[in-house]
Amino acid sequence: MSPIISVQHLYKRFKILQRRPGLGGALVNLLSPRYSEVSAVQDVSFELEEGEVVGYLGPNGAGKSTTIKVLTGLLVPTSGEVHINGKVPWLERERYVREIGAIFGYRSTLWWDLPVIDSLELLQPMYRIPAERFRSNLREFSRLLDLDSFLNTPVRSLSLGQRMRADLCAALIHEPRLLFLDEPTIGLDVIAKEHIRQFILHVNRQRGVTVLLTTHDLADVERLCERVMILDRGRLLFDGSLTMLNHRFESTWTLHVDFEVEYEDVSLPGMDPPVRQGLHAEYHFDHRQVTSAELITRLLEKFRIRDLEVRRPPLEETIRRIYREKLLIN
Amino acid sequence: MRLFLHLIKLSILEQATYRTALVAGLVTNFFWGFFRAAVIVALYNGRSEVNGLTLEGALTYIAIGQAMIAFLSLFGTFDLMTTVYSGSIASDLIRPVPLFVLWMARDLGHSLVNLVVRGLLLLLFFALFYPVVMPESLLGWVWTILALAASWLVSYAWRFLVNLAAFWTPDARGIGRGAYALSQLASGFIIPLRLYPEWFSRLCHLTPFPAMFNTGVEVYLGVVSGSQLGWALGVQGMWFIVLVFLSQIILRAGIRKLVIQGG
Repeated sequence: MSPIISVQHLYKRFKILQRRPGLGGALVNLLSPRYSEVSAVQDVSFELEEGEVVGYLGPNGAGKSTTIKVLTGLLVPTSGEVHINGKVPWLERERYVREIGAIFGYRSTLWWDLPVIDSLELLQPMYRIPAERFRSNLREFSRLLDLDSFLNTPVRSLSLGQRMRADLCAALIHEPRLLFLDEPTIGLDVIAKEHIRQFILHVNRQRGVTVLLTTHDLADVERLCERVMILDRGRLLFDGSLTMLNHRFESTWTLHVDFEVEYEDVSLPGMDPPVRQGLHAEYHFDHRQVTSAELITRLLEKFRIRDLEVRRPPLEETIRRIYREKLLIN
Repeated sequence: MRLFLHLIKLSILEQATYRTALVAGLVTNFFWGFFRAAVIVALYNGRSEVNGLTLEGALTYIAIGQAMIAFLSLFGTFDLMTTVYSGSIASDLIRPVPLFVLWMARDLGHSLVNLVVRGLLLLLFFALFYPVVMPESLLGWVWTILALAASWLVSYAWRFLVNLAAFWTPDARGIGRGAYALSQLASGFIIPLRLYPEWFSRLCHLTPFPAMFNTGVEVYLGVVSGSQLGWALGVQGMWFIVLVFLSQIILRAGIRKLVIQGG
């Protein structure tokens, strides 16, 4: 099966007007504008198979949103090839956008001063959705997203969480095969986030919708994505499964131990001495050199132990290390 | 077509939520109209006709002008421009509707509300204080409606074109203000074209602007009549097509240059 999204050697450069300070500077700007070039996306290539949920991660300014805008047909890239659903997004935008759904987390596609239902009903003639189909989709999405209580409320009076749920409904009601989400959970509380994640999982599992999402919330990634791509300064640094990412970068695991009785010395030969506090001790170890099973066996042979727990570093920690230490740049 | 009507419906509902603004607009347009009528009376200075325009005609011209400010958006609009600068144009581009059609429906909905509230009401009030002429026959009304509809189309296409400047420069508002000042002057909104020196009004007739306003009012007044009617509407139609054609070419180039702001 050919991939649903294919991106090859994508580049996007922006020209930015450099403003000189002061009134004199403004005059000079007018006469001879000075531009500097910024490469937002550099040589990015990847493919998505139908039905995948992929997280597109990176620090602010990494080029995530720029990529999403190119893929949704809003921006024309400087060079590179993009084929989605067999189409080039920016060349036949109006036809192409019929087949996709998109959410830009910080802005809404709904009519600000009108009740939610008005904006949703507009989509039926817009996408020429058969009336019966539209009704049943609306019913299903209203139930899953809990929209009923505010369908008749003007968008401007909605909470952020409600607005985002309504926007999700508006992005999916025409049954696109592809969904682009640019920070879908930005600014939401824990419950609203979970609601939205469940919905995204639902449309992926039940309807086979392929999802590409950017986020800064790694809980989104852990909950939704099997595969992640990491971007920094416009370059793709990592593209692989979450497991692979963990395996490669989260080297230090921690074994938490509660002893039955107090011991003078609980260190193990060849290991760093543990951090102790009363009956509790924490052993930090590189899981690629020693397995947790091996470590536990050795401890059980020497000590009477009440409780054991292996903790992996949270994904957040791992990603932070990757950004900070530029681990992926060769 | 169903989509277009649906969009207009939403746009009407949207505009109807701004009740205070509508009333404020009505009051402002009304008082300015009073002022301008007084100036016209002073200018005529006892004469009953200037360049084929009677005093009643000229006063009605002013009344219609004030009544059409909102319907024809004679002071210009900056809505599309604003979405380019805020980046919310992304929400429009993600939908499978041509930008020209989308904005046309939105604009038309707003205009229709304004036609009733700030147009007809103003005309009624005005008629209480000044002589306001009306078309004499049913046919006269039909031509008037056609000519005003065509005026709206030309006005919309012109404003769409002006707004596209936002794709090129980070502050197209200045360009917009200049462009709209020009169109107010040359459309006959500020002073009826017939009252300009002949060389100047002839110059104006070389531009699309009289088709935005002057034609509609002159048809209403019956100054343009008989065989001239078809010609006048033809010119309006021609300008609409020219402006649409031009704006589509420019839009195509603009989209390639577009930078979606934010995020």
